[in-house]
Amino acid sequence: MIGESYRDKDENELVRASLDGDKLAFGEIVRRNQGMVAKTVKGMLGNTADAEDIGQDVFVKLYRSLQDFRGDSKLPAYIQKIAVNLTLNEIKKRKRFLSVFARKDNSEMPHLEIADHDNERKRDASEIVSRALMSLSSKYRIVVTMRMLQGYSTKETAEMLNLPVGTVLSRLARAQSQLKEILKKL
Amino acid sequence: MENSELKELIVNSLDSNADPAEAINRLQAEGVSFSFSEDVVGRVLDAVTATGLIALNDNDNDNEIAGSIRTIFYRIAIGGIAAILILFVSIVLSEGSFSLNSLLGLSNTYDESIISLLTGK
Repeated sequence: MIGESYRDKDENELVRASLDGDKLAFGEIVRRNQGMVAKTVKGMLGNTADAEDIGQDVFVKLYRSLQDFRGDSKLPAYIQKIAVNLTLNEIKKRKRFLSVFARKDNSEMPHLEIADHDNERKRDASEIVSRALMSLSSKYRIVVTMRMLQGYSTKETAEMLNLPVGTVLSRLARAQSQLKEILKKL
Repeated sequence: MENSELKELIVNSLDSNADPAEAINRLQAEGVSFSFSEDVVGRVLDAVTATGLIALNDNDNDNEIAGSIRTIFYRIAIGGIAAILILFVSIVLSEGSFSLNSLLGLSNTYDESIISLLTGK
């Protein structure tokens, strides 16, 4: 377990200690940011084993690149960018896989297609959100995830995704209209 | 909250004029949460250790090697400087002055002697 002493340290102290080889300091960084990474990764990939692996990869990549972290931005934003990049890479991989092995299937996650027959079953809130997100295409899903699960403003979302603010706004509007239709079926 | 209300909340959270922070708080209050399975910290640290990353240790090793080389270089440089100083002092003491000839050990040698030495005549 991570000692109480690490909980009082700020992120720069934890980064320095991690760079000095202090595993527990890095563990504290993971502990503080795991929730944020889970929202991005699971929001984008669904609640799957892959998402768990990608979440782990995010922190391994962070560890590798910790020396490059100069403190210009906040550590969570730095981690968030790694999470977004790895998640989008995973989605590309899935698309390639499906393009080879699935016939005429435009869905990235066919096993999560909405099924009308279980409309009556009451689902918990997370499942509804997850199913709704997975029904969106990835370009809409990422902006919705940033906005709805991470609470980023339009400007912050645009900066995080390297997109113009106008593009984010239009994608949010289209995602919203798609979600209205999707949620009727859930 | 009924599912219909939750769905409305989801859709409304994407309004351009909606406050993202307020929307996220309401969704969380309704139980919308995403988290990794237990002990993600332990798994990450195991992965980091297993891939041989821990500590930057590759870098630490590199730094140790570089540090050792630097130390050896300094020791050799200091030893060389000390040897030059001792040579200089010994020349001054034995020859009474320092010049190129005294440095070469030729200060007490006549030109004829040098020619004789070089030609054998």
